[in-house]
Amino acid sequence: MKVEYVTPFVSASVNVVQSLIAITPERGKLSARPQLFTSQQVNIVCGITGQIEGQVIYGMSMLTAKNLASKMLGGMEVKEFDQLAASAIAELGNMISGGSSNQLFQSGFKTDITPPTIVKGPNISMSNFDIPTLVIPLQIAEVGELEIAVSLRQRQTQAA
Amino acid sequence: MAKRILITDDALFMRVTLKNILSTNGYEVVGEAENGVQAVKLYEELKPDLVTMDITMPEMDGLEALKQIKAFDANAKVVMCTAMGQKNMVVEAIQSGAKDFIVKPFQPDRVLEAVGKLLAA
Repeated sequence: MKVEYVTPFVSASVNVVQSLIAITPERGKLSARPQLFTSQQVNIVCGITGQIEGQVIYGMSMLTAKNLASKMLGGMEVKEFDQLAASAIAELGNMISGGSSNQLFQSGFKTDITPPTIVKGPNISMSNFDIPTLVIPLQIAEVGELEIAVSLRQRQTQAA
Repeated sequence: MAKRILITDDALFMRVTLKNILSTNGYEVVGEAENGVQAVKLYEELKPDLVTMDITMPEMDGLEALKQIKAFDANAKVVMCTAMGQKNMVVEAIQSGAKDFIVKPFQPDRVLEAVGKLLAA
């Protein structure tokens, strides 16, 4: 797993969060995991296909998810993590993945993204790819921590 | 009479956001589609003045829906509104007849500018 695949996700996350809720996230320390795994309560799973393929998980606590959804909904109070709140969080993942895909395209890698899936409940391990994972935490003031787990590899077989 | 708009996005959040922006600025949101199949069907039923179209959606993506809407009505005004802003996507959308291309996340003014310009004529 190359660090150059992660950089677009970090910068896209910072851009998207800043644009949506006008708060600039602080980037934390990069760490590695042997496989794609999350211990967060709320996870947005996005598939990446094309010349680089795999999955990215945007994970956070339930409190962070509610705070983030509330900010995205213009300050509306989010008591229950309902369909609208989940949709806001999923769309955040979609925008970050889209922005990253744009940056990867500029670096010469053509990719597409799949619609995001929300997975709730901790300790989820995704084992469809045996690709090491790089994890970057982002601290968002007034909201909480957003953890980005990137598990990508260059496509092994060439398209016909 | 208020101009009639059809919103297409698989995310409820985006549909709510777009609807707020448009309806508080004098437009009538006549329909909301969650995927390309619904968008094509609703376009034929409602014949709106303008359509906002996401690209990454289940069932049928926005580029295919755009092509089908343009095949049904060559004068259809479709504005793409998507997180996928890469050049090849923009080029394909414009070549397929999209009138504008808005990359998410967007500011409300960007949407109003695009819609206002197209519906002023």
